[in-house]
Amino acid sequence: MSGALVRLEGAAIGYGRRPLLEGLDLAVAPGEFLAVVGPNGGGKTTLLRTLLGAHAPVAGRVVRREGLRVGYVPQREHVDTIWPFTAGEVTLMGRVPGLGPWRRPGRADRAEAGRALARVGVEHLAEKRFGELSGGQRQRTLIARALVADPELLALDEPTSGMDPAAELGLMDLLRDLQRNGDLAIVMVSHRLEAVANYARALAFVDKDRALFRVGSLDAMLRPDALGALYGRAVAVREEAGRRLVYPLPSNGNGEELR
Amino acid sequence: MSALQDFLAAREIWQVPLAASVIAGALLGALGVFVVLRRTVFVSAALTQLSTLGLVATLLAEERLHIETEHASEQLLVAIAFSVVGALILGALRPRRLPAEATVGTAWVVSSALVVLGASRLVHAAHDLGGMVFGNAVAVPASDLAVIAAVAVLCAVVHGLFAKELAFTSFDAETAQAVGMRVQLWDSVLFLTIGLAIPVTARALGALPVFAFLTLPAAGALLLGVRFRLAFPLAAALGVVAAAGGYVLSWLWEIPTGATMVALAALLAAPAALRRLAG
Repeated sequence: MSGALVRLEGAAIGYGRRPLLEGLDLAVAPGEFLAVVGPNGGGKTTLLRTLLGAHAPVAGRVVRREGLRVGYVPQREHVDTIWPFTAGEVTLMGRVPGLGPWRRPGRADRAEAGRALARVGVEHLAEKRFGELSGGQRQRTLIARALVADPELLALDEPTSGMDPAAELGLMDLLRDLQRNGDLAIVMVSHRLEAVANYARALAFVDKDRALFRVGSLDAMLRPDALGALYGRAVAVREEAGRRLVYPLPSNGNGEELR
Repeated sequence: MSALQDFLAAREIWQVPLAASVIAGALLGALGVFVVLRRTVFVSAALTQLSTLGLVATLLAEERLHIETEHASEQLLVAIAFSVVGALILGALRPRRLPAEATVGTAWVVSSALVVLGASRLVHAAHDLGGMVFGNAVAVPASDLAVIAAVAVLCAVVHGLFAKELAFTSFDAETAQAVGMRVQLWDSVLFLTIGLAIPVTARALGALPVFAFLTLPAAGALLLGVRFRLAFPLAAALGVVAAAGGYVLSWLWEIPTGATMVALAALLAAPAALRRLAG
């Protein structure tokens, strides 16, 4: 894919010299919504961080478009809430990489931070302490911080982790809305296929323990054979009220799955 | 003459040590904001011990191996080398197979043991070492004051110029790295300033007050609930009050200087801690 923002070419991902998964080919184009799905500890975050350049691939290569602007949303639990920053100050940090080492954030940067908070619907929380926000509000603030750099690629690591279903739905709707006007590409890591099945356009299944890496369009990947490879058991996909529901089927106690 | 009149009359004796204590209190108090928020309090304890180990090494080299290290500047350089190398290593630790605390704890306990072992082999300098470890800011030469002031200015300039980088990479290293910032470089810059500040202030104040000033004023300021940027001047102010007040009280009451400074620093942090407990 020649117009890709970032792509892996025969890459092996891992730490140090130890590969977790090998022979990975993957491209992220402008406007793409790629969900990286798999079990906890399956290598999803390593894949994401390799795409972003935070980890070097063990083998193969990562090709990023020159000057690519990236926004990153870490797992909410990884951000320490003892730091006495306000939501506005956290958002403003998104401008730091673009400013370089000698310039301080100015009025224009603060205005951009305010607009980013407004885009995710929490502008009224700008002066509130980050550590005092609810989980959902913190997640929106972290997305605002990623958006304030005007990214072409927005990468999110388990953004709905620990959220109740309503908050999860709200966040996924927000991500869909962010893509509406423009070419923003989204790569989102999630261990919950149900969370992304109605939003992503492409899926990547990742599980290092089974040497599994498959990537394709949402329709192709939501087929029983592909889902079976991910979960190691039968999985049902149903549509209700225009929404896809994906769930593994329970067994009957004799090792046979119920359908 | 009252004790206070005695004190005022002896200005020639205390003005340099008091100035050194005040600058050290402000410098360590401000740096302590990063130490406390990054949850690296134990790193500063290990660095303080490593710095003391550097001093013990120079004293041993002089007494046992007859290598000339009489000059204070040579002793200080060795202490700085121990502290800075330790700071760069311990500051860059990321949990892999073992939690970072295990390595930091090992550095602290091994350097502490080596200080005790080294001190046991000292004959002439054993008394001086007691002052270096527990604090004896009564006699500080003007040259030490100049070094402390120079390091304080250097740290202020570095932290002023790179405040936003140090804040971002310390607060959320994962994101900073993902968006292309050189996290290891900024970590090194931060811990270089801490690694420099510890040995130069420890020579004047002693290891115990240095560790206390890197922890208590910042904890007191942060417990008051102030914003990040305000925490630095507030912690520096608490450090100054603890250092100056501790110095004066120890003179007036004829009690150990370093321990008085530590006790006062704790006392200053106590209201904020109690307020937080009550809230």
